[in-house]
Amino acid sequence: MQNAKDTFYLTLRGRLAALNPARTTVVRGVVRPGILVEENELPTIAVLVDAFRLNWTALRVDSVGPLPMVTMECSIRYATDGESGNGGMDRGRLLAGMDAELASALCIPPQTTAKMNYSGASAGVAPIAMGTNVFWADPIFGDAAMVGERLERTATVQVFAHQEAGEL
Amino acid sequence: MSATTTVAAVAPVTRRVRAYFAPVNRSAGVPTVFDPAQFGRFPAQTPPAPWIDLGWVSKFARKCSTRVDPLRAGAPAVTVGQVRSEIEATVSLEFEVWGKLQVTLASGSQQTNLLTTVAGAMPNGSGGVAAAPIPLAVGSGLASTATGLNVGATAAAGFSVGNLVAVDVDYTGQLGYVGTSVSAAYVQSASAVGGDVNYVRRVTLNVGVIVAIAGGVLELGSALPAGAPAIGMQISPLVGFCDREGASFFQEWSALFVMDGAQGDRVLFHYPRLQTMQGSAEVEDALTAPLERIRLAGAFRALPVKDGNDGETVLCFRSYLPAALRGI
Repeated sequence: MQNAKDTFYLTLRGRLAALNPARTTVVRGVVRPGILVEENELPTIAVLVDAFRLNWTALRVDSVGPLPMVTMECSIRYATDGESGNGGMDRGRLLAGMDAELASALCIPPQTTAKMNYSGASAGVAPIAMGTNVFWADPIFGDAAMVGERLERTATVQVFAHQEAGEL
Repeated sequence: MSATTTVAAVAPVTRRVRAYFAPVNRSAGVPTVFDPAQFGRFPAQTPPAPWIDLGWVSKFARKCSTRVDPLRAGAPAVTVGQVRSEIEATVSLEFEVWGKLQVTLASGSQQTNLLTTVAGAMPNGSGGVAAAPIPLAVGSGLASTATGLNVGATAAAGFSVGNLVAVDVDYTGQLGYVGTSVSAAYVQSASAVGGDVNYVRRVTLNVGVIVAIAGGVLELGSALPAGAPAIGMQISPLVGFCDREGASFFQEWSALFVMDGAQGDRVLFHYPRLQTMQGSAEVEDALTAPLERIRLAGAFRALPVKDGNDGETVLCFRSYLPAALRGI
């Protein structure tokens, strides 16, 4: 399952970075594309704005068939305060921009990609291609919410993968 | 040497169905045959010629009505074999877009281009008397192509970007199937069509939309189905399309439906001959009241062809292309 989660995250990261290379964030002093998986980072109560924060929530395994099918729900939260130079009055526009980027990244065909094993990958060591693909449904966007002066939204997407023989 | 292991085969998971059109030569009764062994892996947006992408379809449903009866012998009768006493298959679907081809195929009958009329034309349900056609320039300037129609600077001034045009030959008394590249209608007699010089352009599927005008050339948004215009073809501007409940013509097309699986597998359904089996119909898809999205609904009956490999009579070919390194 971890391979599917890693594959989906890195695919989405690549697509979002291609759509808007200017959307970056700084995590532990490193500039990265504006997307992260919260369970892979240090716990914090601070909300990272103008970036996509992924959380893996529901999980279902269908063991009918030769390869179990795993369905995972990915919750994608994002928020913006708007530009301070604009007094935050552009926060609706900035949220709409993030809506469009996420919708485009998730709905560009193909909505499938080869599953990769990143567990042994490092600088100079490529991930290993697995035998099946990860695929996902269209995202479902929740209502925009005002939290103080911050505007935020959560989108969810169902991610599917077959559990290959010997894969954990 | 270590052998590469395969992955267990799984049921295809598909998102939607894409449809492709190719013409049937109605006069000769010859369909366009798709060879999945040669072309089965074509990119979804660029089918091999002469196939034309019809876009996504929904509610795709195949129905087999082939009847298999028992063959009995003895007393008391015992089933000793089986026999196919009827072969029948139908397809129903809803088109996601309203293009000329989609509207035509879902029209149930002949489809008419609403040609721009002459001033003061008598009102008529499928369009009044059409304006005089515009000839293609011959021997001067660029030759016309499937995407560029050279009408000369003077005539080009009469067109605007966004105009729709029909490109085909004049009607000069032809009988039988008419329409270049795709049989669009059947003419029983010249008198039935009033000897209308624009009649072939009135029914042709060889239409396009002008996206640019430069140097007397009308640039089209996509290639004409019939390719570069032949000598003698002319242009008629049109404003839209019309079909008629109760008309006598049966549309027939070669159809290909493709389902791409999430694992890289592909399922193809090829009906070499599909004929419409219902009148024009639409399906309302409620958005938020009072808004409704209207989809074109089509239903078709498959007609037979002979498989060249063994002479079997066939209505549909279903092909499955497995993903790489799958168990089979």
